[in-house]
Amino acid sequence: MVLSICASVTLTQMFEPSAVAVVGASKVEGKIGYEAMANAALFDGPVYPVNPSASGELFGSEFVSSVTDIDDDVDLALCCVPGPAVPDVLEECGEAGVGAVVLYSSGFAEAGDEGEELQETIVEIADEHGISLLGPNTSGFLVPARNLRCSFASGVEEIPAGNTAILAQSGGVAHTLAYQSRRQGRGISAMVGLGNRANVGFAETIEYFDADETTDAIVLHVEGTDDGRGLLEACRASDTPVIAYKVGQSDVGDFAESHTGALTGDHELYTAGFAQYGTPTVDATDDLMDAAAALGDCPTPDGPNVGVVTAQAGPGIIITDRIQRAGGRLPKLSESTQERVDEILPGVTYADNPVDTGRPMPEFGEIVTAVAEDDRIDIVLVYELFEEALGLPVEDLDGLAERVGKPVLFATEGIEETLAEEREALEAAGVPTFATPERAADAAGTLARYAQLQADQPATDGGTAPTASDAAEQEVSADE
Amino acid sequence: MSEETPAPIAAAREDGRHTLTEAEGKELLASAGIDTPSFAVCADADAAVDAAEDIGYPVVVKISSPAVTHKSDWAGGIGVAVGLDSADAVRDAADEILTTADERDIDADVLVEEAMDLDRGTEVIVGGIRDPSFGPVVLTGLGGVFTEIFEDTSHRIAPIDRAEARSAIEELQSLPLLEGYRGSEPADVDALADAIATVGDLVTEHPIAELDVNPVLATTDGVIALDALVVLEDH
Repeated sequence: MVLSICASVTLTQMFEPSAVAVVGASKVEGKIGYEAMANAALFDGPVYPVNPSASGELFGSEFVSSVTDIDDDVDLALCCVPGPAVPDVLEECGEAGVGAVVLYSSGFAEAGDEGEELQETIVEIADEHGISLLGPNTSGFLVPARNLRCSFASGVEEIPAGNTAILAQSGGVAHTLAYQSRRQGRGISAMVGLGNRANVGFAETIEYFDADETTDAIVLHVEGTDDGRGLLEACRASDTPVIAYKVGQSDVGDFAESHTGALTGDHELYTAGFAQYGTPTVDATDDLMDAAAALGDCPTPDGPNVGVVTAQAGPGIIITDRIQRAGGRLPKLSESTQERVDEILPGVTYADNPVDTGRPMPEFGEIVTAVAEDDRIDIVLVYELFEEALGLPVEDLDGLAERVGKPVLFATEGIEETLAEEREALEAAGVPTFATPERAADAAGTLARYAQLQADQPATDGGTAPTASDAAEQEVSADE
Repeated sequence: MSEETPAPIAAAREDGRHTLTEAEGKELLASAGIDTPSFAVCADADAAVDAAEDIGYPVVVKISSPAVTHKSDWAGGIGVAVGLDSADAVRDAADEILTTADERDIDADVLVEEAMDLDRGTEVIVGGIRDPSFGPVVLTGLGGVFTEIFEDTSHRIAPIDRAEARSAIEELQSLPLLEGYRGSEPADVDALADAIATVGDLVTEHPIAELDVNPVLATTDGVIALDALVVLEDH
């Protein structure tokens, strides 16, 4: 598709610009033109404040009166002017060779017929000049690793770099997820608030961040789009795991009338469609970021079988119960693993799945290793209350996930200040950590569903190679 | 879209109609490989009796008119007469439908159809629709209270293969009813999966806005489309 090739070029200008202009930059604190400039000025490259009626400097850069006056390769313009002024700004951007524009202002397609007309006008101008438009009606985007903070919200300079790309229909939700990621001690490769998706939507950004080397998981917040199929196809085409949170369950058909139109609610189609196209869905912002940590930081699981190791029975029971509801399976451990567990800890409280050691102990890491090496297990989940004298089994778990090719998740609880260092060491050793048994179990459940949904995907190499089970089915049905 | 327009769709287009008659809908399904009961469209009572003799009693007689989509609600319920087991019964039913249609100035024929024993299987709904955001989609669910009260349906983005259609069926909470319970025979789930996939193909390949096969009778040795409503796209 020509549009997609064009979009990927200008999306590079959006997310990897060499220089940035802030159009409508202002010296007045509290105005979007000031806040956006304050954040943008953190960028490692040059940032130019543009305002024909201002003079002097802002954050160390001289005001210019138009983007066409800048003697530099400005790839990206942050547009802080009100809606009616946007068409002229876009024309100037086109003239200046700016490939990407963020439109913060509202009053477009979300605001009635006049706004819709204005949006059509700006899309025409943008398409004519080959400009990628983020928004309008968005609070922008962040790429922390480049210090690219194109948002007018406060505190965004604190969002750490990580490996999850947040693609949210709402700028507000995008920021919610970004701040959450920081609070959880994680980080993001990018945060993008798509807003009205004038000509940059889910499909284009999924494709872009799938190709981005710093992104290991993509999370979507979806309210609704008029190209649901394009969204699903982009999800299927992505090699990077995608997890989606579709909001709006209450939109269901009128079941009193039993025909297809009435039985086909929007939400059912999104839920069924995401599953069909290999994308697990979750029902909360926390779950989204937890799933991203599990899928982004771990090897991809081959199946849904979870092995649980717990140092305390109660949390283990919560996890066991929850994993099965979340889509995971808890197979029996192989006999050799059970024997191995029994050798490490004679008289262990419970030596099948979950393995319950009864309390933290020096051999805990060995037990986790034994379970991780069991061929019946695809995903390992560990729960242990923090015991200061023992610490967490960082040494045993370091590199374990990579070696066995399976995700190893860890949930722990205790005095935050005491355990923080050990938990961070565990994270650094490739083990995502979770604060509650439920969140760890839900993350394991999403991993399990991801493994199953991916296994059910049709062959992508041109679709010519049927799987063994397809061939078997064809033989059975050859007489039809 | 396939290059060749199936005859029932071409016929409706020629008349400037958006809705196919039940007979046209069933012809469309049959041409795509979905079984339907034997049927004939008859212009008068004599032809209806002849058709009934050919098909074999008992038969069902229904109004067949582009103007009537909800046949059993039409004219106080005379639009569908079931369990007719004699020539007289067929003649009476056909006469009543055709006379009433005449009085109401409706162009109508009657559809004479092999009566199916509903106890032979489970009634299932299979539907396809062209969604503005997702394009062609299919759905299935067990008919009656299961879809209406328990909202037990499952959806897929079309086109799909048999395995995907099977997974849609297996998602249904009412699946045990298809698998056989309390000694009832299990339904032919593969045949049902093929019917779902076929409906998905029809909506994908032709200018169909909505296609309802409700009910499909899922029996132990195949599935039979007992009704078909096809609504075409505007152009």
